[in-house]
Amino acid sequence: MTTTTAPAPTGTTLLDVRGVTMRFGGLTAVNNVDLTVSEGEIIGLIGPNGAGKTTFFNCLTGLYVPTEGTVSYKGNLLPPKPHRVTQAGIARTFQNIRLFANMTVLENVLVGRHSRTKEGLFSAILRGPGYRRAESESHDRAMELLEFTGLAAKADHLARNLPYGEQRKLEIARALASDPGLLLLDEPTAGMNPQETRAAEELVFAIRDRGIAILVIEHDMRFIFNLCDRTAVLVQGQKIVEGDRETVQNDERVITAYLGAPLEGTGAAASTEADQ
Amino acid sequence: MHDLPQQLANGLILGALYGLVAIGYTMVYGIVQLINFAHGEIFMVGGFGALTAYLALPGGTTLWLAVPLMLIAGILVSTLVAVGAERFAYRPLRSAPRLAPLITAIGLSIVLQQLVFSFYPDAKKARVFPKIPGDPFELASVTIQRSDIFLIIAAPICMLILGWFVARTRSGRAMQATSQDPDTAKLMGIDTDRVIVMAFAIGAAFAAVAAVAYGLRTGQVDFRMGFILGLKAFTAAVLGGIGNIYGAMLGGLALGLAEGLATAYIQHIPGMHLFGGGAWKDVWAFVLLIVVLLVRPQGLLGERVADRA
Repeated sequence: MTTTTAPAPTGTTLLDVRGVTMRFGGLTAVNNVDLTVSEGEIIGLIGPNGAGKTTFFNCLTGLYVPTEGTVSYKGNLLPPKPHRVTQAGIARTFQNIRLFANMTVLENVLVGRHSRTKEGLFSAILRGPGYRRAESESHDRAMELLEFTGLAAKADHLARNLPYGEQRKLEIARALASDPGLLLLDEPTAGMNPQETRAAEELVFAIRDRGIAILVIEHDMRFIFNLCDRTAVLVQGQKIVEGDRETVQNDERVITAYLGAPLEGTGAAASTEADQ
Repeated sequence: MHDLPQQLANGLILGALYGLVAIGYTMVYGIVQLINFAHGEIFMVGGFGALTAYLALPGGTTLWLAVPLMLIAGILVSTLVAVGAERFAYRPLRSAPRLAPLITAIGLSIVLQQLVFSFYPDAKKARVFPKIPGDPFELASVTIQRSDIFLIIAAPICMLILGWFVARTRSGRAMQATSQDPDTAKLMGIDTDRVIVMAFAIGAAFAAVAAVAYGLRTGQVDFRMGFILGLKAFTAAVLGGIGNIYGAMLGGLALGLAEGLATAYIQHIPGMHLFGGGAWKDVWAFVLLIVVLLVRPQGLLGERVADRA
């Protein structure tokens, strides 16, 4: 169904995460995780509830300052300041939708454009030609992204009045407005029905075809394995395996993490417990 | 009741003054949920900034030139003090419990009053502020002092600029976004520290405009003038729905009207003759606040807090 234009990994590393650890008091939510994302890639991040996936995202985007480890983007260390991370070229969406509910759909996207436009208090008040040009360019770009996500007809609606599926799309449009090189999606299909999920897959491919790499957290395995070039599995804060579909699906530890350890003496222990 | 138009005009002029100062409370609250109790003193130092500019001008300078220069000086002083307060008093407490910055604000308010009291020449008593000379204007049955013309022109202009700025510009949208969800706003590339500074600066500039209007109107400035006016403006902000800029202006006008009308008419209601006149005007202002908050706890234009979650 989905036309997968061959992933053209040019090999350039965009995101390079090294040894990121996040502790909250005595709790280690993310433990020494390495991860790289290259241009043109779609990478999945899966794991049971509470595995630390969203915490890991928060470390990448500067909402949390990792206890240890570094996050680099295009070879530059990222400062743990969310607005600087966005300026560098990483955008994200949220597991729980976090739109600006009392702004219109268009205004939400315009806010997303913030880091790519320049205009201070004074140029706005003086209303120079530069100001007008910047505003109209932002407006055009925002409308283009709304066309892309299929929301153009609702540009003037308040964000909170959109149906759920369209709110998710709007979050993506708003994230794209910052012209990211890497997009982080936190459970983009949560709460969606199967048709909406398929549409979301199409959208993710379309975004990748625009030259944007994607790192996606998901629980829907079909979604993950349809989309992702590689998938990393996070369990209790640790990355236990990373690889293609076969590698992940056949890994004992992944099965254990999701389904629990097999009972003693049931024939399931056919393979060796090499990981102990 | 033959003087009703006059009383309405007085109430609206006073209300515009409250509204301008209330903007500062409401903007800062909308962005950082801090009640900046030092805002009354930001207003006061703006008045002294303007007075300083006036005294520095050669005698006999026409007010057409002096008032704009006083305005600029007042805005400059107020804004610098407010931005400095944000940077050195409030920002270090950004993640502290809510009470800490509140107490800091009260402390800052005392510090600013005492600094002016101690170091501004002759500030121990009220300093004379220029008035706009000439006969008052007579419009039908309404008399308007020349000095109030400044406020009548300045207040709507300020509000129109602010409304346009918040709704139509990039920085204004950043402000709305920060007030709705600061964490998400940061992830949109918005430097929320800058937005906060901007909110303090705009509030301070409006307070300085109000201070010049207050000086022209009363013919004096003194180091305590920010206290009661700040309290009234804060009341206006709550009345209109704190966090909402139009609410602040509406709350100011409502408060001004209530004071004006109560002062003039309450004593004519049978059995209420003891409660009229200027001495009771503050009481009626706060009675209005209590009544509005009983009926609409979020204020006239406020949003229910649940919407913010």
